Amino acid sequence: MTIYKIESKSILAGLVVTAAAFFYGTPLHAQSWSYAEAAKPYAGTTIRVLDEITPLQETMRKLVPEFTKETGILVEYELLGHGDVIKRGQADLFSGRGYYDAIMLHSMQMGPLLAAKALKSIDELIENDALTNPSLDLDDLIEPANKSLVNYAGKQYGFLTWNYNQIYWARADLLSHPDEQALFKTRYGYPLAPAETMQQMRDIAEFFTRKSGETLAGEPLLNDFYGIVLEGIPGGTTFTTVWEVFMNNWGGGVFDSDGKPNLDTPENIAALTFWADLWKFAPPGQAEYSLIDVPTVMGNGIAAQTIAFSDFVLGVDKPGGGAFAGKFVYGGIPYNADNPEARSAGGEPSLMALSIHSKNQEATYLFMQWMIDKATQAKQVAAGGGGVPIRRSSFDLDVMSETTRLSLYNAMATSLQYVRAKPKAPNFFEIDSTMAPLVQQVGIGQLTAEEALKDGQRKVLSICNDCLLPE
Amino acid sequence: MKTTIRPLENRWYPYALLAPAFLVLVVVSLVPFLFAMFLSFYEINFGRIGGFAGFSNYSRLMDNERTWNSLWVATKFILIAFPLQFILGLGGALLLNKRVWGRSMILPLLFIPTMMAPIVVGLVWKVMFAGSWGLLSYNIVERFDFLQGTSVFSSPDYALLALALVDVWQWTPFMMLAFFAGLQALPVSPYLAAAVDGATPMQMFFRLTLPLMAPLMVVIGMLRFIDAFKVFDTIYILTAGGPGTSTEVPSLLAYRMSFEQWRIGESAAFAVLVWIGFFVLCSLFYHTAKKKLNVF
Repeated sequence: MTIYKIESKSILAGLVVTAAAFFYGTPLHAQSWSYAEAAKPYAGTTIRVLDEITPLQETMRKLVPEFTKETGILVEYELLGHGDVIKRGQADLFSGRGYYDAIMLHSMQMGPLLAAKALKSIDELIENDALTNPSLDLDDLIEPANKSLVNYAGKQYGFLTWNYNQIYWARADLLSHPDEQALFKTRYGYPLAPAETMQQMRDIAEFFTRKSGETLAGEPLLNDFYGIVLEGIPGGTTFTTVWEVFMNNWGGGVFDSDGKPNLDTPENIAALTFWADLWKFAPPGQAEYSLIDVPTVMGNGIAAQTIAFSDFVLGVDKPGGGAFAGKFVYGGIPYNADNPEARSAGGEPSLMALSIHSKNQEATYLFMQWMIDKATQAKQVAAGGGGVPIRRSSFDLDVMSETTRLSLYNAMATSLQYVRAKPKAPNFFEIDSTMAPLVQQVGIGQLTAEEALKDGQRKVLSICNDCLLPE
Repeated sequence: MKTTIRPLENRWYPYALLAPAFLVLVVVSLVPFLFAMFLSFYEINFGRIGGFAGFSNYSRLMDNERTWNSLWVATKFILIAFPLQFILGLGGALLLNKRVWGRSMILPLLFIPTMMAPIVVGLVWKVMFAGSWGLLSYNIVERFDFLQGTSVFSSPDYALLALALVDVWQWTPFMMLAFFAGLQALPVSPYLAAAVDGATPMQMFFRLTLPLMAPLMVVIGMLRFIDAFKVFDTIYILTAGGPGTSTEVPSLLAYRMSFEQWRIGESAAFAVLVWIGFFVLCSLFYHTAKKKLNVF
């Protein structure tokens, strides 16, 4: 009996210890953690968040009241256009005004803002169990975009929030037309299909460039038709993303591994020459085209293919999106067949960063975390009828297997394997403003790639010698 | 009954009347200008004022090819736009002054381009001439291959000319209306006397109209000249300074330096230099007009 009692006590003690360990450890935390509970000390706080206006953020805006309802934290979620969000956000951060608590930043802004020490690292906040959702699962975020964007010198600055990426976008009705397929096979010796390599993209561009009066897919053309359309205006920062893709795929790039300007290399010259050659098959107005004009041209049906930002497709290839909606096919950005190891895709992964001047850092951190939370992301994708995932798991959502857009989502998934954030260069905007007009002149045939890159190298060297922030 | 003005009232009254306008000028023009001048002598990193930099911002600016290019682009722009606006404006005003049919309908219409915000003007012309999807470029310019494989705003040869013509479209009506108002205010008697003396219309134009209109022409011309130098919105919308830097005017370059690249010190130095340049030019203009044309 005594023995039993002892055993019983031991068992009881064992149970108590096990229970204590169980309730004290992570599993309890995971089960009990909620935004409502974590936000209790901050209920009633108002935070100001600046973000970019695209259909993705418009959808997010509809979800923000749910966060307020759950946490009591009021969010002034302000959306501005691409250029304005950069300028106003930077002005707020540089000036120390602290009007915004969190600001959406494109990867190219990281260099100047980190150099200016305007961003708050979120490491301490992430380590705070009371604030961080234990199920946040940051490992689910898409790499290499995420880490190349938010990490610097061993610290994390915000969360990857928008995963803008470029994809290959082509006219499926033309590529699958029997007459065109037969003619292409005869001329190029391989079947006509969405381009997988840069060289195939060039062949398709050449093949489909036709004058008015010629036939396209069995119909006589009333106007000229173009084999490709690409961004060409130097005013927008995304122009650089396009020509940089070619350089990267040729094994080159703007900087070498030490962060020194590395423009006039044989790889870059070859890449830019190839890129400029594509201009022969592009609409005459390509030098005026921004990231917005390219989808417009594709939607108007005067070009066969492009490399464009995938989120713009959502506005064109949808019911009521124009005469060519539903007639497109997509793929990851083509790679250079001569150097497949250097495969790279263009994109502009963007983060929500915490202002160092914010007076509501915990409440803002909760909101930033909520934005990228799995549940929020699932709602965002569902509410938008699809989207541009920041999480790998988002590709498994039902809405993402919708057959009409499957080709688009597969293209995004392919591209995103290779999308990296821009290197963290404090003088990025000055370098960009120096290079973009020179590169554009290569496109319109005013300069050769060699001349432009030689001149560019000289000019960029006068801006900086060690152009990247030391890691 | 004799009215007397007290000496004190007489002395301060004009200043009191001018004070509000002067105060506004000081606040919105002089203070920012002095601050810009101050900034131009300092090292400014990412919007934060650092140490005294002497003339280094000025020397960097002078060494920058883009500075000189932008000034040359602005000069070409003015050389194309300004004479056209002046001649067409004056010609139109003379025509309107002839009591042409439908004048009361034409006059309000002339206000439309001038009243439009430059950004809207840019968008209107983009819709017309945007390469390969603009209404006129797609249906006319490219269909008949007028520019041989390029578009209006993509061509280094035509982009600046086209931008100048957009400016002519927007501002010629303003010149026309201003000159028309001037013509309407001219006294009739000199013309009657000239007619009695048997003067031809050409003689009347060169001997009467032009000299009588000279003060107005100088003022309007100077304002338009300054305004044409400051053109920004339409260029920003239509070409963003391209192709290359062939349409990059000083305002656009200064904007980029300030708000895109955060080179505040250099852009402040640019503003100061442009101001000095204009001060010298306008002073020359003023003194020449005063001396040669008996204006002011």
